[in-house]
Amino acid sequence: MIRLLGAAMLVAGCGGFGFSLASAQRREARMLHRLISVLQEMEWELKYRMTELPELCSLAADASGGSLRSVFRELGEKLRRREVLDISACFNDILERRNLPKYVRRNLKQLGACLGRFDLEGQVQGLEAVRCQCRQDLARLQENGPQRMRNYQILALCAGAALAILFI
Amino acid sequence: MMCAWDKLMEIIPPRMREPVNRMGRDTMQEFRIRESFPPELVLQKSSHWLDDKCSREDIAFCLQSASRYSPWAADSLKKGYLTAPGGHRIGVCGQALYQKGQMMGIREPNSLCIRVARDFPGVGDRAPQEGSVLILGAPGWGKTTLLRDLIRQRSRTQAVAVVDERGELFPEGFDRGCRTDILQGCRKAEGVQQVLRTMGPACIAVDEITAGEDCAGLLQAVGCGVTLLATVHAASTEEFIRRPLYRSLADKGIFQWFLIMHPDKSYRAERRNAG
Repeated sequence: MIRLLGAAMLVAGCGGFGFSLASAQRREARMLHRLISVLQEMEWELKYRMTELPELCSLAADASGGSLRSVFRELGEKLRRREVLDISACFNDILERRNLPKYVRRNLKQLGACLGRFDLEGQVQGLEAVRCQCRQDLARLQENGPQRMRNYQILALCAGAALAILFI
Repeated sequence: MMCAWDKLMEIIPPRMREPVNRMGRDTMQEFRIRESFPPELVLQKSSHWLDDKCSREDIAFCLQSASRYSPWAADSLKKGYLTAPGGHRIGVCGQALYQKGQMMGIREPNSLCIRVARDFPGVGDRAPQEGSVLILGAPGWGKTTLLRDLIRQRSRTQAVAVVDERGELFPEGFDRGCRTDILQGCRKAEGVQQVLRTMGPACIAVDEITAGEDCAGLLQAVGCGVTLLATVHAASTEEFIRRPLYRSLADKGIFQWFLIMHPDKSYRAERRNAG
């Protein structure tokens, strides 16, 4: 009975790992998708209303959700309180304290490096560049995405079963 | 006296805030920052230097914070100044940047002059309450402060349209009067025509006439039956009349009153019938 229970736990543990990998990928794709639409909204705000950066960050926070929302909200607050000496360093500091997927983090860093440094045209181009990079990353993630996620899950379950056979 | 002091504190580098607040709250007229030199507080009757030297980062902080980290909203930097929240004007020096013969901005700013905007309600009580008025004075003699009060007083009885190109006449918190309409950030010549067409003013006010096109705009407005309140850089009426830029205004005699400022910020009124 104990052996059976151990085998079940091994399979469940490995399977869980595979499922969590797949779910992390899905989360990353979702966040990139959200980031793309937030960046698009920021571009429109800039082009048509020349919105100032603290307000722009608040609008971005409202338009996004979860971790992205808290990132933009915190930057907006700091800018409003005029605590920021270097926007890029401040943004990186905010990102360091959050658990973000790899591609999302990299694109947000790129965004932080261009915020508040250029005139209108330059700033819009900077946002476009980040958005373009997000699209490429999203395409990379979605390339054979469902197939890959299924593979993760199956491989993890099989690995669990193999371990169970070996050890029990 | 009214001053958006807290707004000023926000744009000063954090390490300088305490001494500036302590020494300059009531009497500071200007705060000057020069790279590699200690910051200078220009008070009413003296100057005071702080201990630490200013760095390029201090200057960048002031500019970023005054423009709310939004270079795209600080177009006036192309003309070498920036109006901070609270109406405080920041003059900027550094390496001018030109593109196709037009100044595009200032690269590596190394000097700032922050002029503290203060409001003194009642300072214009002795000024004429009718007709077009021109305020003359050198920089820092209180022309803008007097203009602000004249606008407020006129607005008690008539609609006053203000074309505030620099956005420093009525910052948030300053009383603007009950019949004052403010067009902010618009070039004077263009703005005068616009308010004339759309706002039906009895009086139009502009600060610092500095270009021929401003004079042309004012002349057109006077032809439409409005009175004017304006300021120019000139120490006396003779200097005003002598300057070619103002020749058209002087010749046409469109101002019935000249208010001549003195260095101690007092003024005297002089009536003129024609140029």
